Amino acid sequence: MGPIQVKCSCGEDNCKEWAIIELQGVVEPQSQQPHLNLQNLRIGLLCRPSSQETYTLTIGYHELTGSKVTLKKPLLVLKKLKHYDEDESTSSKLSPSKVELDVIGIIRQKILFKTRPRALITSTKKV
Amino acid sequence: MEFPDLDELQWLEANQPDEDYPLEFELLEEIEEVSVEKHNYEKEDELFESQEEDEQQPLRSPPLQQSQSQIPSINEKKRPRSQFENDDSNNNNNEVDEDNRGRVRVSTIDTDQDNEKLLSRYAHDIEGSCVPITAPSASGLLSESVSVLLHNAEQDAMLKALQASSEVQSTAISSETLVMTEELWVNKYAPRSFTELLSTEQTNREVLSWLKQWDATVFSNGIKNTGDEVLSALRRHSSLSSHQKHSGATFPGKSGGPRYAGKYMGNLHVSEKENDMAKGSDGLPNKMQSASGTPDQKVLLLCGPPGLGKTTLAHVAAKHCGYHVVEINASDDRSSSTIETKILDAVQMNSIMAHSKPKCLVIDEIDGALGDGKGAIDVILKMVAAGKKSDVGNEASTKEQFGRKSLNKGRKAVSLSRPVICICNDLYAPALRPLRNVAKVHMFSQPTLNRVVNRLKHICNKEGMKTSSIALTALAEYTECDIRSCLNSLQFLHKKKESLNLVAISSQVIGRKDMTRSIFDVWKEVFHKKKMKQSRNCDVSPRKPCDTYDSLYSLVSNRGDYELIFDGIHENFLQLHYHDPLLLKTVNCLNALGVSDLFHQCVMRSHNMSLFGYLPFITITIHQLLARVETPTIEWPKSFHRYRSALMEKMEKLRSWQSKIAPCISRHLSVNSFVEDTISPLLDILSPADLRPVAAQLLSEKEKHDLAQLISTMVSYSLTYKNTKVDSLANNSMLEGIVDVSLSLDPLISEFVNFKGYKAGHYELKSAVKKVLMYEIEKQKIVQESISRSMRSIHNSQDTNAAKDEENGIPKSSKMFDSASDFSNNGTKKNLLQKEVCKGKFQKSLGFAGSSADAVKLKSTGDVKKPCFASFNFFDRFKKVTRKGCQDVDSSKEKLAGAEKDGHRLLFKFNEGFTNAVKRPVRIREFLS
Repeated sequence: MGPIQVKCSCGEDNCKEWAIIELQGVVEPQSQQPHLNLQNLRIGLLCRPSSQETYTLTIGYHELTGSKVTLKKPLLVLKKLKHYDEDESTSSKLSPSKVELDVIGIIRQKILFKTRPRALITSTKKV
Repeated sequence: MEFPDLDELQWLEANQPDEDYPLEFELLEEIEEVSVEKHNYEKEDELFESQEEDEQQPLRSPPLQQSQSQIPSINEKKRPRSQFENDDSNNNNNEVDEDNRGRVRVSTIDTDQDNEKLLSRYAHDIEGSCVPITAPSASGLLSESVSVLLHNAEQDAMLKALQASSEVQSTAISSETLVMTEELWVNKYAPRSFTELLSTEQTNREVLSWLKQWDATVFSNGIKNTGDEVLSALRRHSSLSSHQKHSGATFPGKSGGPRYAGKYMGNLHVSEKENDMAKGSDGLPNKMQSASGTPDQKVLLLCGPPGLGKTTLAHVAAKHCGYHVVEINASDDRSSSTIETKILDAVQMNSIMAHSKPKCLVIDEIDGALGDGKGAIDVILKMVAAGKKSDVGNEASTKEQFGRKSLNKGRKAVSLSRPVICICNDLYAPALRPLRNVAKVHMFSQPTLNRVVNRLKHICNKEGMKTSSIALTALAEYTECDIRSCLNSLQFLHKKKESLNLVAISSQVIGRKDMTRSIFDVWKEVFHKKKMKQSRNCDVSPRKPCDTYDSLYSLVSNRGDYELIFDGIHENFLQLHYHDPLLLKTVNCLNALGVSDLFHQCVMRSHNMSLFGYLPFITITIHQLLARVETPTIEWPKSFHRYRSALMEKMEKLRSWQSKIAPCISRHLSVNSFVEDTISPLLDILSPADLRPVAAQLLSEKEKHDLAQLISTMVSYSLTYKNTKVDSLANNSMLEGIVDVSLSLDPLISEFVNFKGYKAGHYELKSAVKKVLMYEIEKQKIVQESISRSMRSIHNSQDTNAAKDEENGIPKSSKMFDSASDFSNNGTKKNLLQKEVCKGKFQKSLGFAGSSADAVKLKSTGDVKKPCFASFNFFDRFKKVTRKGCQDVDSSKEKLAGAEKDGHRLLFKFNEGFTNAVKRPVRIREFLS
């Protein structure tokens, strides 16, 4: 296979920049509600409390602190577009003749949360 | 250059007429000089000595300069005096000359100048008979030509000069160059030793005693024992301010510390008894001081008007104590980087030369240091701070002498270990403010008129100038004892061959100095009426009051700082002792100040600066009203700034408090109306008299109700009680005299309406009640906070679900609010019952809402909502009905916590990393597959 042709629709310089959030851990739904619909749920609140490159991510009652890391190799965010040839539309629906990859973003940096999260305990809590 | 010593000279003198004296290499240049002057004398062979002296003067000057730069520092002290003697002899006529020559020769043996003088004198004695020595011999007697030999000799001399100058390099004193043929009298007659100082005895002693305090650190080995006795003696003297002169007038100025100590003891044997007595009292602080090594205040700040001899005192005292003075002057480069290295050099380095003395830094005119020059102050402050720190550390760490010594060495890398004397004219220069706090400050007062006049007379006698003591007194008075300007004007007159007369002084032709008067002088001038001196009255037509008005006008308008001037007048004039039984003067004065205020306001508003021109006249009015003969004691006006800063502080406090109050309340509170109208009643409301200091459970229904109301008021005004230290001003001090810590309102709003002598009329709550209140308020706050938080989360979920609800065609949110309002309307029912009811209602409404597919989810939000709404309303009820009292708060709080937990639907689980995992590169597609 030769090199994959990649189309970038947005031009070289103004590609949208994305960022990765890397977590040391798992975000999972609360155990009591297994049937929860995960779509459109708010995961947490990402904010940068000060001017430094430190970020906090609040998920549930955990607060994670992380920092911005520049990736050694930038990543591309691609979108796969499948084109079906009109002539062979009937015969090969399963294998599209033409696959196009469109660049929709580039990732140069990630926000890495690798430390143990801090528990946010409200002062009212009594056990 | 090399000069022959006395023996050689005498020998030379004896042999000079002989033409065949052996030429030696060392003598060569000297011979050359002789020959130069001989050439000179050849021409005017038969002239009289007096004429020749005149001729000689300019001729002699170049070698003089040269020699000066080469003289090693040891000779420095004697030189000027001897020179004076020479000049003296020059100025006198020739019949004394013979005598003088003899005296000079004997008295100043080893000064090089005199050698030269001897030579020249000698040369003209010979009167040309020796002319042939060099001229013919240049070819005949010498193997090399004279010019070559001269060149060699010159180079040798240069080398030696370089060596010498490297030794004395840093002395600022040696740089007093003779630009003119005649030295300035000021320099010529500058005090060379401690006893010659003109400034008041007390100041001198205090400076000296401060310097001696350094002995323990600076001369660490030799004279540790000198400290106590000498210091106590010095202190004693300065405190007694005795005018008893030192018996030993012959202190050698260059004596080192150790020697000095001994001599000083000798001189003070009179007061030794006192010393012993003083040791009892003074001994303790002394020991403390000597234990820590350096004096408490490491910087000495001398300040005073120009020309009183501050710099001279610093130099003389430092030299007297065996220091090597390093001066940093205004003319030097004073940017912070260069100054730092300079100071560090002076203060920390011990020079490697064996004979060198420790250095003492004198920073002259430090108040003129603006901008870049501030570096000096900063550096000094830094070092002082560092020193303090290390001192504290030392005292804490060890108590042994040896341990401390070693520690000192190690730690004081940055701290100040040599005395620093700063000199300024204006103590209140803004740049000096930080330094003033750390330094030992000495105001330089004027020396007494008598001393100044005596000294002036002495100098005039020596210079052969005819003066009367009356004229000198007038001069000194006119210059305000500025001896420098006195001497300069005298010299000036002397040079012009004029005599000092009173008219010249009073007509202000001479002796005028450009005065930069400090603000204190201005105030003093305003309040102080000058005595009509006899001398003044006789020479001019008696000074009219308008004359003083003139001077006052020019003084005030030159100063220009009107706001400050009137501030100072306003603050100080009531302290004056003016005779005013009917308070008329006071009223008039205040009126005048009011006018000045009006002017000022007007100027500030309209920027019409020309109006400032009228302000000095107001000071004249005040002067006319209040001026007294006795000197006023004037303090810096502080109250204006103090009250202004207090006002700002309180405004800030009020504002920050207002921002904490809920906006629905605080928007109705303007600052003015709040302070003037609201606070006092509010304080009354906040401290009801009928609250019993018992546990909350024991209160009756009505009391509980009152308590709840009070709490709600306090919460809504975001007030609380806080532990504070009792101070005498606080209101509750009268109730709790015993307890150190008491409770007071947190934003101390009673302060806003408090003033001196004001007693708050409201009832003072018992501290137990306050404690209960504090506790309840905390609880209430927490509850409210969590309510608002869960409210927010509800709104969020509502937003997310809104779209779906609309799809389902159910106006869910409105329903919910209906139910909520429904719920709150059921005010009369009992709490528990109500809760159940509301639950039912809620679920009913939810049933409607949750008919769609996301019923499960809505239920969960309902779960969240229910307790909060319940509690919200519950608290409304609590305020009105107070069925349950405070205990219920806890239960509701627990519920709230649970609700909060339910609010998070996604949780984060942290994976502990393993360090023993094998690291290997992973391709992205392995993740994606």
